[in-house]
Amino acid sequence: MEFDDKVPIYLQIKQVIYHEMVTGKLKPGEQLPAVRQLALDLTVNVNTVQRALGTMIAEGFLVSQRGRGNFVTEDQPKIATLKQQLVQEQLATVYHELHALNLSDDEIITSVQRYVQQRGNQDDSHLND
Amino acid sequence: MTAILTIESLKYNRNQRHILHDVQLTLAGGKVVGLLGANGAGKTTLMRLITGSAKGSGAITVSGSSTPVGRKQHVSFTDHLKGFAPNQKISRIEQFYDAVYPDFDSQRYQELAQFLDLDGQQKLAALSKGTREKLIIALTLSRQVDLYLLDEPFSGIDSMSRKKIINSIIRWLPDTATLLVSDHYVSEIAPILDEIVVVKDQTIVVHEETETIRDQKHMDIETYYEQLYEGGTDND
Repeated sequence: MEFDDKVPIYLQIKQVIYHEMVTGKLKPGEQLPAVRQLALDLTVNVNTVQRALGTMIAEGFLVSQRGRGNFVTEDQPKIATLKQQLVQEQLATVYHELHALNLSDDEIITSVQRYVQQRGNQDDSHLND
Repeated sequence: MTAILTIESLKYNRNQRHILHDVQLTLAGGKVVGLLGANGAGKTTLMRLITGSAKGSGAITVSGSSTPVGRKQHVSFTDHLKGFAPNQKISRIEQFYDAVYPDFDSQRYQELAQFLDLDGQQKLAALSKGTREKLIIALTLSRQVDLYLLDEPFSGIDSMSRKKIINSIIRWLPDTATLLVSDHYVSEIAPILDEIVVVKDQTIVVHEETETIRDQKHMDIETYYEQLYEGGTDND
């Protein structure tokens, strides 16, 4: 796994795990690999993984069971809010970038709609290949 | 947190030249620390001073031991396999380690050797640079000590060997032990480092946590390290 070395690694590890929770690759209640295994999988420092997991436990997205390991929360609404949060973050970036190109709010909506439509057509044509 | 390594007012001269002076350093347990510096900055010398194979003035304490003999029991360092004949087989070198170090764990060595694809029948002289470094890693990490030293394990080796070495460090470095690993090209190991220590101008000029550098300076570790060599006027 390649990380951006300008951004704290523990934040990037959180993003990776959040992403897996939101997409369902990690299911509610599922056990995470052991800390050292995660460090190996991601090729990062064990303490950095520990720190990432620690903050996710504090935020309530992970539940730590003493002696048994760390588990994804079974609180589905909580995972839904996480998804909302990730979507918001992506939209905020796009919105900011398009505003920087002097697009009005209406123009942004129109161009996003047009993009999605064109993109959908492309994907359909791929399916028909 | 208890210190594994403490260095106070260390000074070392060779042929009337200052190699290191005013070196102060404290390392806690359970850390992976990158020792950075240009070629010839004194990284290897610092490691030899820590193990006691070089002698300077000042105080060096490892896990409470300040004499060279006492320190050697707490430090695992394979100084480039010096002292082994070129026709020596890997298995003989392992037997030597097992005989000399009471803390050598053969079981652990077997696991490491298997992971790193080491063949006991091969002779030292026949090993590629990468395999030689893998052997050094396996021997070094097979001892059960508080402080491990690796001197430039990544210089001149292919990317597959590098990955294997990095993975062995993550997998086999004991939780409470500290590893000091030197390198002059930091970006390849930056993600596994807790802290960096930079040797420049014959002393330690920086000791900083990697995540703090990323968080507060918004810099990658390589850039941060390189800017130490650029004029030095930018002090923010």
